[in-house]
Amino acid sequence: MMNRLWKIVDLVKHMERHFMNNFFGHPPKELAAIYVHQTYSKTAPTKKYSLKDLIGDGYLMAVPKFRRTVEKRWKRKFGSPDYVWKMIVPNKNIKVCQECGHHHELGRLCENCYKRIENETKLIKDKIVEKLGNSPIDKEVVILYENEAPEQKSEFWNGKRIVEMKKERPSWFSKNLLQKSTQEPSDSKDVKPIDLA
Amino acid sequence: MNQADVSKLVSKLRIRVPAEPRKLRNIKGPEGRIDKLRKTVTGLIKYERIELNSNRGQEARQYAERLISEAIRHGDCHKPTMDIADYWLLEKELIHKLFKVLVPRFQDSNTCYTRLLNAPRIIHSRNPDKVILELKGNPYPVLGSNKMNNRFLIQNVLLDAAKYDYRQAKYAEFAKKIVNKEEKIDTTETEAPSIEKQQSDDKLTQS
Repeated sequence: MMNRLWKIVDLVKHMERHFMNNFFGHPPKELAAIYVHQTYSKTAPTKKYSLKDLIGDGYLMAVPKFRRTVEKRWKRKFGSPDYVWKMIVPNKNIKVCQECGHHHELGRLCENCYKRIENETKLIKDKIVEKLGNSPIDKEVVILYENEAPEQKSEFWNGKRIVEMKKERPSWFSKNLLQKSTQEPSDSKDVKPIDLA
Repeated sequence: MNQADVSKLVSKLRIRVPAEPRKLRNIKGPEGRIDKLRKTVTGLIKYERIELNSNRGQEARQYAERLISEAIRHGDCHKPTMDIADYWLLEKELIHKLFKVLVPRFQDSNTCYTRLLNAPRIIHSRNPDKVILELKGNPYPVLGSNKMNNRFLIQNVLLDAAKYDYRQAKYAEFAKKIVNKEEKIDTTETEAPSIEKQQSDDKLTQS
């Protein structure tokens, strides 16, 4: 609304100037000179300029005085390779897991494999703790899964405590790696070294 | 036979012990630190595999190794060793485990008794590094890299040798076949022209 009003006002002013110039021409130059002379001599301020006029009640803040060097600007932008390097760099310590094919960091376990093993470990752990309780532990623990009849010789189970898991053995948890094969009592009569040191 | 294994005569940890101990921050100071480590060692002997912050795991490992090695060295009739075991194992049923299970398990081993593995790290997370500390010979599924791809593993060496033998045998077979074929061709070539000659002779005589 106001915009339109101003437009109309502008239009009227323009029209006025146009008509005045066209029909009556410019005012004489002498007249202007007299006018100028009078105004300048009488109204020119003689007051001295001071910073207080500019600032008033406010205060000035510090501003940069000089341009930053190229080195500094670039260090700010990209960082320094010796300290903090801000550029995106390819990570070269990623390996492919031989078991599952997922990626893992060099020198660390594969996350996928570890999660799988961790879950199974937790189950076994709980089972063992539940089975052994607070009684003194004096036997090695052997884990047996469901449908896994003890296949070893009878000597194998002599000093061992069997903990049964009520589930099938996971396919990735190989049985063969689990235990050492049984050691049969040897017939040799070699004397073991004693009191040597 | 009656020769001492030097590694068993000298009491020495089988792991590398760094010059400076790791920092384990605790409000109780050094005392709290040892308490922390006692709990950890107890947990390790009890569960045989635990996940810990890196510093705590690395520090507790040394004490666990020392405890087991002392137990193997002196046995359960040695008063100071028993005191050490009593101090470090907060659950007293584990003292039985140390002397009756772990000592027989490790007494013939020539390597360290524990294994320390780096746990996977969530990238760009602020969590501290985790490690997995375990006793060797535990009943859990095997952690860590599968060494099946190692060329020098005895199974792989034997398989390679078997493959080599098989291939050599096959090559010999092929070579024999080729030789036989060539001989056959030679014989047919020598016989065939004579028949043709005879035929041509016959034709000539007929004409």
